[in-house]
Amino acid sequence: MHWRPGLAAATRRLTLWVLPSLVATVVAAGDFAYVTNQNSDDVSVLDLETGTELRRVPVAGKPAGIVVDERGRYYTVSPDSKTVRRFDAATDGVLAEITLDGGPMGIALDRSRGHVFVSDWYEARVRVLHADTLAPIAALQTGSAPAGLAVSPDGRWLACAERDADAVSIFDLGTLSSVHRLPVGSRPFGLAFAPDGRLFVGNVGSDDVSVIDPVAGEVLATVPVGARPYGVAFAAGRAFVSNQYADTVSVLDLATLAAVATIDVGEYPEGIDSTVDDTRIVVANWFSNSVSVIDATLLEVIGEIGTGDGPRAFGRFVMGGEER
Amino acid sequence: MRYLKFLAVLIGVLIPAMALAHGPTRQKISLSTDVAASPAEVWDVIGNFQDMSWHPAVHSTSGEGGNEIDATRVLTLGEEGGPTISEVLYKYSAEKMSYSYRITDVLVEVLPVTNYSSHLTVIPLDGGGSKIEWRGAFYRGYPNNDPPPELNDEAAIAAVTGVYQAGLDALAARFGSSN
Repeated sequence: MHWRPGLAAATRRLTLWVLPSLVATVVAAGDFAYVTNQNSDDVSVLDLETGTELRRVPVAGKPAGIVVDERGRYYTVSPDSKTVRRFDAATDGVLAEITLDGGPMGIALDRSRGHVFVSDWYEARVRVLHADTLAPIAALQTGSAPAGLAVSPDGRWLACAERDADAVSIFDLGTLSSVHRLPVGSRPFGLAFAPDGRLFVGNVGSDDVSVIDPVAGEVLATVPVGARPYGVAFAAGRAFVSNQYADTVSVLDLATLAAVATIDVGEYPEGIDSTVDDTRIVVANWFSNSVSVIDATLLEVIGEIGTGDGPRAFGRFVMGGEER
Repeated sequence: MRYLKFLAVLIGVLIPAMALAHGPTRQKISLSTDVAASPAEVWDVIGNFQDMSWHPAVHSTSGEGGNEIDATRVLTLGEEGGPTISEVLYKYSAEKMSYSYRITDVLVEVLPVTNYSSHLTVIPLDGGGSKIEWRGAFYRGYPNNDPPPELNDEAAIAAVTGVYQAGLDALAARFGSSN
């Protein structure tokens, strides 16, 4: 029998993976980040407790859009191949896959009604897919270049940023009908609902954030942030906005909307999300090939974890609980 | 000939859309060269946003605002009356010897990209030399689905790589390669 260093190395690596995951299960700690790496065609699975990359899952077609399902599933959107996939987080196996026409881009999940929404960048619509099979169910008309999608915490609303229409559409998740369409700043791309139900929209072209009441359908405030705001996330009573060109995250107080800090992160920060326990913010640094982990109370970067090439993480990408 | 004319018409039709939509996948490149000259000497030549005469493809630079944020410049390529690229400065640090800028206006026939931003920096090397690093982030020239080959992702990467390589080669010749 030949000595096979490759196998030995693989075994060592496996041991390194297994040990932290056992620990994580025992103490029921850490959240996990599923980061789409658009340039290297894979997803980095990050253990946020230990600050390590556990593995990379090959995902063809330049994946950017992502949404996690707390029941141990995650969905990706690859715009180049126009493919949407649903993965089992325990095995990283593909449970369902569909190739669409048009330009699939952003993704959001309405778990209670079993719907996945995928924006179509080129055809001005949002596709409604079956959450398990990914079979198309319906299409919602939008303005030009729909990008970011978000589902409200109370399960009532779907919001869609219409980048080239400078507008946001709000749909009723129960009836799948349009409820409001309102003008925002210039080139809205990413958006997210705050825990209090307000909708925050990053306007790439005007370097500000529109704060919206989705029930009344009105813009409550427009708040300046850094250059090229991309995504918004929330923790510890604050909004965190990733600024692509500034290499920073702007922090806004949710009560007053006042700017409370600007935090330096990696280059080209994009997708941003919070941990389930509301204490940390994770932001993907597209040019630096890493994520920065921010303490939401101290407002400091407390860690950086390497990823594949070109992390986008465009959507909700942090999954809570034990490793799956 | 007919094909070229068609392309010109096609591009003419697309230009209003250029400022808006972009392709689905942003590209990035990073090129560098090591030179023997000190960082201060190199920065003295490339650190002025208003003077890109160090690049062999640039005929002239005109602009406003010096090295302040939001300063603008127009690069004329090749010769008097040649094609132009309009750019704006969005980061500048003499201390870190780096600046970042983006293109505000260029025809895709000149450079087949959209939403282009770039970063130029000088990094000290052990032993007194310098690493000159040039990075770019951009989308392909064709904003819609199913691009023609001359405006696809590969064409964009090849074009920007060519620009950076020509500039870095000229600097290596000027300052002496450290290799």
